[in-house]
Amino acid sequence: MLFQNKSIGIKVFFFSFVCLFYRMASFGWKRKIGEKVSKSSVQQFEADTEKDKDAGAAPDEEEVDWLHAIKRRREILLEDCAEKSRRLKDEGTLLAEQGRHWEAIKKWDEAIQLTPDNPLLYEMKSQVLTILHEVFPAVKAAEMAVKFRPLWWEGWQTLGRAQLNLGEVDMAVRSFQIGIHLRPSERSLWDEDLKWAWTLQKQQAATKEKMRQEEETKNQILNAPELERDYDFESDEVLAACVAVAERQNHYEELRKTTVIIDAEGNIQNMLSQEEKSGESAESSHQQLVKVRGL
Amino acid sequence: MSTQYTILFKQEHAHDDAIWTAAWGRSAADGSETIVTGSLDDMVKVWKWSDEKLELQWTLEGHQLGVVSVDISHNGAIAASSSLDAHIRLWDLESGKQIKSIDAGPVDAWSVAFSPDSKYIATGSHHGKVNIFGVESSKKEYSLDTRGKFILSIAYSPDGKYLASGAIDGIINIFDIATGKLLHTLEGHAMPIRSLTFSPDSQLLVTASDDGYIKIYDVQHANLAATLSGHGSWVLNVAFSPDDTHFVSSSSDKSVKVWDASSRACINTFFDHQDQVWSVKYNNTGSKIISAGDDRAIHIYDCPV
Repeated sequence: MLFQNKSIGIKVFFFSFVCLFYRMASFGWKRKIGEKVSKSSVQQFEADTEKDKDAGAAPDEEEVDWLHAIKRRREILLEDCAEKSRRLKDEGTLLAEQGRHWEAIKKWDEAIQLTPDNPLLYEMKSQVLTILHEVFPAVKAAEMAVKFRPLWWEGWQTLGRAQLNLGEVDMAVRSFQIGIHLRPSERSLWDEDLKWAWTLQKQQAATKEKMRQEEETKNQILNAPELERDYDFESDEVLAACVAVAERQNHYEELRKTTVIIDAEGNIQNMLSQEEKSGESAESSHQQLVKVRGL
Repeated sequence: MSTQYTILFKQEHAHDDAIWTAAWGRSAADGSETIVTGSLDDMVKVWKWSDEKLELQWTLEGHQLGVVSVDISHNGAIAASSSLDAHIRLWDLESGKQIKSIDAGPVDAWSVAFSPDSKYIATGSHHGKVNIFGVESSKKEYSLDTRGKFILSIAYSPDGKYLASGAIDGIINIFDIATGKLLHTLEGHAMPIRSLTFSPDSQLLVTASDDGYIKIYDVQHANLAATLSGHGSWVLNVAFSPDDTHFVSSSSDKSVKVWDASSRACINTFFDHQDQVWSVKYNNTGSKIISAGDDRAIHIYDCPV
């Protein structure tokens, strides 16, 4: 959990850096015009523009070009949307940086209304929803991000992390693998995301397998195959059958006493619960045997 | 013997998830044609191509994560596969049994390629090294160092003289195999090189990149011979036809394109996949093309001969 927050922090920082850079770049661009263009050519240009205006004004008055006017208006509207959305995105980023997460999400939701196919908005929203422990909406938002930009590895990383928080380990392993396949040089995907999710997946599989074994052994105790045939009570077969049943009960007991754990290296083991003592288990197995004989 | 490019066969739902890689081989023993596919569903599948039909022969279980790359030895007897679980596995195609499993170490097994004599398998690594494993010994025999970034793609020249590698930062390296020396470093693309292939006469090298371009290099002089555009997104795979006249490419734009090697023009585009096409290969005569991708389907196309 810790590394996730950390890397989100880094990402948020990166976004703000990009915003800053964007502002710096636009500032520099404006300044460049004043510096590089000589005063005389500016005057010349302005005079030319005046002339053009005068010349162009006459036909416009007679006939209005409605078709182009409407087209231009729509273009302006689209530009407006993109610009407004970008501004809302930046505002949301700043809010997220200050820890005002819900307000950030509100800004981004407004931006999504304007530009519903921008994957960045969904991806950032998913990260902040994860911080807020809104696990299911976080998955939904990240799913939109990868839908609109399926080749973007960061979208898959965010989706995988959201799925992991939701407990969808198998889906998270899949998302991280897709991310790696798109950008195999990204170490965080290997070392943090996939490694951890894969360990969890193996643990889940081991737990499931143990439960299955437990269930199977229990069923066999209840309907022991040894009890289905007749025995000659004088023979050793009876004893052998009893021992088999007892061993199975013993095995079941052991299964119930152990838990699946993962050690520091990520290896999976079945461990005996701590309160268990060897002497005690020997005694209980003895009791089991007595009970079987009584059958 | 058709006179135009047509789709011949579709195997829908060939795997349970995206197909990332495919190879087409021919058995030297009985001439039968074998297709091997690897998928995000952790499986390697072996298919027999006979009577214009695809028949599943083996489902090979063993890899614990998605299968990134497969190749078939030149006698058609062995398949190699590499997976995100960092293992390279060798499979007997006749029996469907695993021969060996090589632990390549963390993130050190991406694409796999058999050498022309099929005694070695080359694979790229995270630190820009090309590791060469012996098929018999299943050990790392030696490695070639590009001193570069993550190696995504690898190809042997059919004459056995050269090995080319393509890196994630767009750098192409060509090695002389006999001396192990780095002959050329080409800064062809600015983006990852997903695939590269030599022409059958080993004179040309074709590269495919995320920048959407295909480039053709003259191997001896390391000259750029052509830059081809046409795909609308990442170019994911390229393969040369065995008769030297054409090559084929696949892309994230869901298309498969056939190019004329001499005129360098795109002569046919297949738009039959529903999603990105990760792999494309010719059969050994150049009469068929196979493609597979994220839509889990395998397509076989007919080529005019």
